[in-house]
Amino acid sequence: MKLKRFLLRYYPPGIILEYERSSGQLESKAIDLLTLKEDSDTDALASHIIREEPLLRESHHLLLSRLIRKLAAKCEDHLSQRYYLYRTLRAHILPLTNCAFNKDGSKFITGSYDRTCRVWDTNTGDEVLALEGSKNVVYALAFNNPFGDKIATGSFDKTARLWDSTTGRCLHIMRGHEAEIVCVAFNPQGTRLATGSMDHRAVLWDVETNTQLAVLQGHQAEIVSVHFNTDGDKIVTGSFDMTAKMWDVETGKCIHTLKGHTGEISTTQFDWTGDYCITGSIDKTCRLWDTGSGACMDTFRGHTDEVLDCAFNNVGNKIVTASADATARVYNVATAQCSAIMVGHDKEISKCAFSPNGHRVLTASSDTTCRLWSVDTGDCIQVLQGHTDEVFSCAFNYEGDTLITASKDNSCKVWKECEASAPLDAHNDKQIDT
Amino acid sequence: MGLLTLLRKLKRSDSEARILVLGLDNSGKTTILKKLSDEDISHIMPTQGFNIKSLVQGSFKLNVWDIGGQKTIRAYWQNYFEGTDALIYVIDSADRRRLEESGEELNELLQQDKLGGIPLLVFANKQDLLQALSAQEIAEQLSLHAIRDRTWNIQACSAKTGDGLQDGMEWLVTTLPK
Repeated sequence: MKLKRFLLRYYPPGIILEYERSSGQLESKAIDLLTLKEDSDTDALASHIIREEPLLRESHHLLLSRLIRKLAAKCEDHLSQRYYLYRTLRAHILPLTNCAFNKDGSKFITGSYDRTCRVWDTNTGDEVLALEGSKNVVYALAFNNPFGDKIATGSFDKTARLWDSTTGRCLHIMRGHEAEIVCVAFNPQGTRLATGSMDHRAVLWDVETNTQLAVLQGHQAEIVSVHFNTDGDKIVTGSFDMTAKMWDVETGKCIHTLKGHTGEISTTQFDWTGDYCITGSIDKTCRLWDTGSGACMDTFRGHTDEVLDCAFNNVGNKIVTASADATARVYNVATAQCSAIMVGHDKEISKCAFSPNGHRVLTASSDTTCRLWSVDTGDCIQVLQGHTDEVFSCAFNYEGDTLITASKDNSCKVWKECEASAPLDAHNDKQIDT
Repeated sequence: MGLLTLLRKLKRSDSEARILVLGLDNSGKTTILKKLSDEDISHIMPTQGFNIKSLVQGSFKLNVWDIGGQKTIRAYWQNYFEGTDALIYVIDSADRRRLEESGEELNELLQQDKLGGIPLLVFANKQDLLQALSAQEIAEQLSLHAIRDRTWNIQACSAKTGDGLQDGMEWLVTTLPK
C-alpha cells in the first residue's frame, strides 16, 4: 500500500488518505477528527495519528500537523459573522416548499406549488433550469451530493423524478407510490434513491436503472422523513404512526422499530458516525436512539409544544430542536442537557439547521423571519427579515458563507456573509453586484 | 403552519372534513374565511398561494383551504382537489362583467373527476354593494338548476358584514357524512 495524497474534509473535520494497493487500485480511507477544536494541540494530534495509522510515517508529521491546523482554523467561531440580503428570486409563481444546496454551494434548488423545481446559480442569482413535468406540487428534493450531477424530486403527483442537474433532462420517472411523495434522499454513494410517501411506504430505487430494489413496508401511517447513514447501508424512516424504523439497505428488511414517542414523528436523522439517530415528534420531545440496538438512549424534554424539526451538528455532539412553541433548543448529546434555549420568534419554528462549523443555528419561522443564533449562548445574532409570509425552509451552504430561505410568499432569498470590515447597513440587495 | 402541518392537513382524516374554497380573484374568498374565524378583514391582499383555516361548525371540524383565484394560477387549483369533501364557490355578485367567466370556471370544476359528486355551496358575495345581483339572478344566469350530479345550494352573503355566512356554513355541514 502506497500513500498517494492527503485530502481535507472541513465538515465534519477529517483527513482522507488516498492510497494505492499493490494491485494498482486507488482507494481512500478517512480519519475523522470529530473532537477537533480551534485550540487543539495539533502537534500532539499529528503524532497520535501517525502512531495509529500504518499508512503514515514520522516524515509526514510536518505536513500532517499543518493540515490539522488548517482544519482547526475552520472550527473557529467568527463572532462578528453577519449576513446581508444578496438576492430575492421570484421565478416561482406559487409558494415554495423545500430547498437544498449542492455540495460546493455553487447551485441550489427550490421546489414549489407551481409544480416545478428550479435550479439556481448561487453567485449570480440566475435561474439556470426549470425542471418541469411534475403534475402536482414538487415537495421533496435532493442533490446527489457530493457529486451534484443529479437531482431527485418527489411530487404530490405520486411520482419521483430524476434529473440531470446540468442539462435539466428528466432521466427517470419513478412510478409505484400510491400517494404523495413527501421525502427523498440519495445514499452518499449516489447509487440509490429512497422515497417516502403518504401511502405508508418507502421505496428504494436504483438510480442507474430506475428499478425498485426494495419496498420498505411496515409503517402503519404516512412516512414523512427518510435518511441514509454516512455508509449508505442503513435508512431511517419517520412516520405519523409514532414510530421510526431502521432498514437494512441491502435486504430491505426492517432492523429496528423505534418505539416510544406518543405522537407523530416529524423528522429523523442519523449522526455522522451512524451510531445514533434522532427523532422529533409532535409529542413535544426529541429522542436519541442507538442504531445498533434500537434502544432509546435519551428523551430530550423542555418544549411546551410540538417538535417540528431537529438536527445533529456535523460532528454529532449536539442537536437542535425546533418547536411550535416558537423556541429552538440545543442539547448536548452526551449529557442530554439542554445547553441553550433560543427565544425570539413570534410564531412556530418549522425548520432548524446548524452551520457547518456548528457555532450557529439557523431557524425558519411562520413569523416570516429566519434567525441566526449563537449555539454557545443561545443569543439571537441576527434576524433575517424581508419575506412577507411564512418561511418554509432554509439551508446553509457547505462553506457556511451563504444561506437560502424559501417562503410561502413565492420567493426565495439568498443571504451572503458580510465582509468583515464593511458596516452592516451598507449592504443591500440592490447595491451589491458581482 | 409550516410544511409539516401541510402534510398533516393532507392526511385523510375521518374527524375533519376538507373544504375547498375557490372562485375568481377578488371574489372575497379570503375575507369570508377571515370573517368566519373572527379575524380582522381590513387589510387583505390578493392570495398568491393558499390559506388554510381550521373552523368548528357545530359538531364538525372543518379544514378549509382558500386558494388564490388569479387567472395565471387557476390552472393549479387541481393541486388541491385530492380528498375534498365539499366545494365552496365564491362569486362577486357585483361584478356583472365577469359573471360569465366565473360561471365558466365553475363549470370546469364541476366536470373534474376528483370533485365528482361532492356538495357545492355557492356564496353570492358582496350583497352589501348596491349593484349586486341577487342569489336568484346569479343562479339563473349560471344555470345552477341544471346541476344534477350533486347537492348544491346558493347563499346570498356579505363577507364585509358577515350576513349569510353562517347560514351557508350551516347548510354545508348538513351535507357532510356524520
